[in-house]
Amino acid sequence: MKKLRLAYVRFTSCCGCQLTLLNCEEQLAAIDEVAEVVAFDMASSRQDDGGPLDAVLVEGSISRPEELVELLRLRRRAEILVAVGACALTGGVNVLAGGDRIELCEGVYGECAREKLTFPPQPLLRFVRVDLEIAGCPPERSEHLKVLGALLHGGLPSSLPEYAVCMECRQRENLCLLLEAKQPCLGPVTRAGCNALCPSFGAICEGCRGPVTEANRAEESRLLLGLGLSEREVRARMERFSGVTHEDH
Amino acid sequence: MKTISLQPLTRVEGHGRVELTVQVGRLAAVRLVITESPRLFEGLLLGRSWQEVPALVSRICAICSGVHRVAAASALESALGLDIPPVARKVRELLLLGGHIESHALHLFCLTLPDLAGTESILELLRAGDSRAREGLALKALGNHIQELAGGRVIHPVNIEVGGVVRLPVREKLEALLAELEEWSGRLHPLVEVFADHRRYPPATAALGTRIAVDCDDFLLTGRSLRFSDGRVVVGDRYREVLEETAVPYSNTKHSRMAGAPLLAGALARLENAAGRASAPVMPEPSAAGIHGNNLAQGLELLWALREARRLVRELLAGDADAAVMAAVRPGAGVGTCVIEAPRGLLIHHYALDDQGRVAAADIVTPTAINQAAIEAQLLADLQGVTDETLLTDRAGRIVRAYDPCISCSVHVLKG
Repeated sequence: MKKLRLAYVRFTSCCGCQLTLLNCEEQLAAIDEVAEVVAFDMASSRQDDGGPLDAVLVEGSISRPEELVELLRLRRRAEILVAVGACALTGGVNVLAGGDRIELCEGVYGECAREKLTFPPQPLLRFVRVDLEIAGCPPERSEHLKVLGALLHGGLPSSLPEYAVCMECRQRENLCLLLEAKQPCLGPVTRAGCNALCPSFGAICEGCRGPVTEANRAEESRLLLGLGLSEREVRARMERFSGVTHEDH
Repeated sequence: MKTISLQPLTRVEGHGRVELTVQVGRLAAVRLVITESPRLFEGLLLGRSWQEVPALVSRICAICSGVHRVAAASALESALGLDIPPVARKVRELLLLGGHIESHALHLFCLTLPDLAGTESILELLRAGDSRAREGLALKALGNHIQELAGGRVIHPVNIEVGGVVRLPVREKLEALLAELEEWSGRLHPLVEVFADHRRYPPATAALGTRIAVDCDDFLLTGRSLRFSDGRVVVGDRYREVLEETAVPYSNTKHSRMAGAPLLAGALARLENAAGRASAPVMPEPSAAGIHGNNLAQGLELLWALREARRLVRELLAGDADAAVMAAVRPGAGVGTCVIEAPRGLLIHHYALDDQGRVAAADIVTPTAINQAAIEAQLLADLQGVTDETLLTDRAGRIVRAYDPCISCSVHVLKG
């Protein structure tokens, strides 16, 4: 079998998606057998040869001109572009600092601020075609492996689940944190695929996998308000990974 | 005059480059340029509820997400005048140890070992059947296993909230972890030995910088004050009186200095400052390895962390399974600071809350921001006399890597 020519690059983000691949400790040797890792700065000093790629995995949102140039270059090189994680898909927590960047920069860097060319962080889809998505903040190890496996065999993995985290949570027979424990869980409006990881541990879903289609957001808001959260807090929780409440979805 | 650029820095977490200016065949100036995009967490935290802070700041950095979350919760607890239940403290300490083990194993075996072996990455080592690389990955997996158990998730843990923890780890899982930890005793020592041999590192001058670390209590990673190697001890709340920060035009990280002198944070600084304490591993006399001795210090800390993890798991197993894990929180105004040790060095979180419990000011000082001035000084000192360009950039990369920098952390300096 021909080895996959693969790159894993990162823009504005925390390294969590790339770290998730490195956290596949038991599978790294197997990945190396089927993939030629052309560029992965965090893990390898190999010089990128700039040649065509079978696939590029991209972590992070775009917030500087240099990042945009590099993204476009990668799009031209790669047959398949995979957006990985909340920052790449919806902007992630970065977008919460999306206001007046110059003013925000001045608050942090003082006089040096004007030299920092930066714009409000954007998801990849704003600029390029995205062929595949891996959701989550952080994404799951299993999803990385599934995507690599599918690419290797020349196919595409099935798209992201179109049902809510609640479905998986109910299958695992967990106590309902929202209705029974009266905690502000976002499971009903969040896309599944994590096997309800956090609620199964006993912690509320914070919505890191992004909104599920056709979610009943109005009802979720009503329930959260009923728990005593202010409107502002409800909005803040529902916007955490995208900066918008996705009322239009 | 000629500027040689090492770009990009590889096998470090985050984006940066080193610029070496050579004048008449002599290295005249060095710059560590952090090109990581600013993420401006202050715009994100100001005005937000205290409840949101721990989850948001863990996103500053994946490798350090556990310690960021604990630091934020602790600083906010201090602002709100809260004492958390003792058992919650133990769970947090276990999470910190898991993060420490995972991060040190990642740095030593995935990022540094390829330098010692002369390969581009750990992948070649795995291909060649290198047992150290394989064992190193197993150790890294152990750290992740601990983080999953104590934090609920490997990256961006969900178990830590202001007031304590959400729940205690499941008993059966703790028992399995204890068995796994027991299995590691005796297995780790031969694994870290390779990092003690100074002949495996490039020639080096003594490690520069005044050592700075948390003045630890009986647990190496936590305490209330800062200790400097010049003997001074400063209470954590007053960190701004001793840490100066300056923004520099060429880098997206601010430099931290103490009255103009570089500071050194990290495993080496921790062990040197804690010398003589029963709880701390003993660092051998300054070796010929210079700053590369930080790798050995991390290896020694791994031995310590596994011992401590065994102790904590046993204590958790012996404790009351129904003990309270969360203190009641009454939100209000206050100011709080937490000084804590991240795997790569001192981390400070500081918040002010208004009377509604909303963030009015936030300040985070990260280890790599503290180390940046020392890294530049060390590059200049260690690379004097090196003229070959390939050798120069290769050595520069290894020196920067020795600090185990976390560049995505370093640009998230907050100011409010």
